[in-house]
Amino acid sequence: MIPACPLRSLPRGEAFRLDAEPPIAVFHTEDGQIYAIDDTCTHQDASLADGWLEGCEVECPLHASKFDLRTGQVDAPPAKLPVRTHRVVVEDGTIFVIPSEAPANLPPGVGVRPQGAA
Amino acid sequence: MSTTSLPPGPQQSLPPSLMSTLPGAYYTDPDVFALEQRRIFESMWFCAVRAADLPRPGAFKTVQVGTESILITRARDNSIRAFYNVCRHRGARISTEESGEVKRAFQCPYHAWTYDLDGRLVAAPNLTKMPDIDRVAYGLVNVAMREWLGYVWICLADEPPSFEEDVMGDVRTRLGDVAHIDNYDVAGLKVGRRIVYDVKANWKLIVENFMECYHCATIHPELTEVLPEFADGYAAQYYVGHGAEFGAEIQGFTVDGSSGLDRIPTVSQEQDRRYYAITIKPQVFVNLVPDHVIWHRMFPLAADRTVVECDWLYLPEVVDGGADIDRSVELFHRVNTQDFDACERCQPAMGSRTYADGGVLVPSEHHIGLFHDWLRGRLSD
Repeated sequence: MIPACPLRSLPRGEAFRLDAEPPIAVFHTEDGQIYAIDDTCTHQDASLADGWLEGCEVECPLHASKFDLRTGQVDAPPAKLPVRTHRVVVEDGTIFVIPSEAPANLPPGVGVRPQGAA
Repeated sequence: MSTTSLPPGPQQSLPPSLMSTLPGAYYTDPDVFALEQRRIFESMWFCAVRAADLPRPGAFKTVQVGTESILITRARDNSIRAFYNVCRHRGARISTEESGEVKRAFQCPYHAWTYDLDGRLVAAPNLTKMPDIDRVAYGLVNVAMREWLGYVWICLADEPPSFEEDVMGDVRTRLGDVAHIDNYDVAGLKVGRRIVYDVKANWKLIVENFMECYHCATIHPELTEVLPEFADGYAAQYYVGHGAEFGAEIQGFTVDGSSGLDRIPTVSQEQDRRYYAITIKPQVFVNLVPDHVIWHRMFPLAADRTVVECDWLYLPEVVDGGADIDRSVELFHRVNTQDFDACERCQPAMGSRTYADGGVLVPSEHHIGLFHDWLRGRLSD
């Protein structure tokens, strides 16, 4: 379980980029739900936390691929592969993320550094 | 540009009735035009777009100001923002459209550098790998902006001159008081018609034409019918605060003198049944009549080419109610066409050897000399 940020520092409609390996995007939807997915678009290296949140969907700021925050599935191309979703826990006003253990779908040229490496 | 030498003035002495115009080369020489772009259009306040043409966040217009393309949009907070239309990455034009609407960001079509409506760099491929790129410092470059009379005025100068002295000052000089234009509630009016004229003439010929009325009785029969005093050749711009009075039989400022549209209620008694004209240097003409305002914006594109956008502005209820504005618009559309034809007739002769020293101004045109003095002052060091 990784602490992300205090709940009050993430207003509805906004996103937080958690500098994990690979990075995780935490979204607070307008409905008050909190979701975490891989931050990196599976099409090209772009931060989904910098994208556009609409309902339970985020649109990549570069090429408008859309991902469902609940499932990680692609709702709109050009991305083909889903992002991973991660469990979220809010405890004592802090948002925690429990990273998925499934393999990440990262775009070409983006690798995962081995754990513990600098 | 140290190599440019301005064309010399005329050599011969003139009879007292006459003053010289600028030499012909001022209207044809690309070096003079380049100097005007830098010292005038890129240095002064420039009336760019009607604010209402940006109705929603993300709506945008691009305009040519001097040598620069400027992107003007409305941000999320509804404020209007102006930027150089240049991607900070490799310099591609962000937009090549004259107008349009983006949902939430401007994206360079080359490498997808993406800017929000405040100009901030919000995304780019691999941007997260380059945390040392400041998203404001590498955002779109801002241009100074003012909103006045419902228009967006921008200034490319590093230190913009005083808007109050320059822009409002020209209104004050003409009308005697800025309050006189406030009576027309120009910001509250609505565009009823817009006509864009692509004029094959130097912008200064258009300014000079607008400033004098020596030509009125000859080329503007309809206008002179409505404003009989124009037949004496003295323009509405000759006397401070003077508006030309409608003829006794004239009911409204229309092509046939028939009644116009609903009068702007805040227009004063002295302003009723009168026409006022203002030149706001360097590229705006304003025409005020009791029921509408005619607003010209010039976009000088080359020494021999100027695009003029002309807006006819009426009370919102007149436009929304679908009133017939054809006879109202037709009067000044004819005036525009007559004037621009005259300017296009002059342009080819500006390069004639017989016009090397320029022509002459008669007494009712002598105030154009002030424009020439102003221009020479701007262009000299």
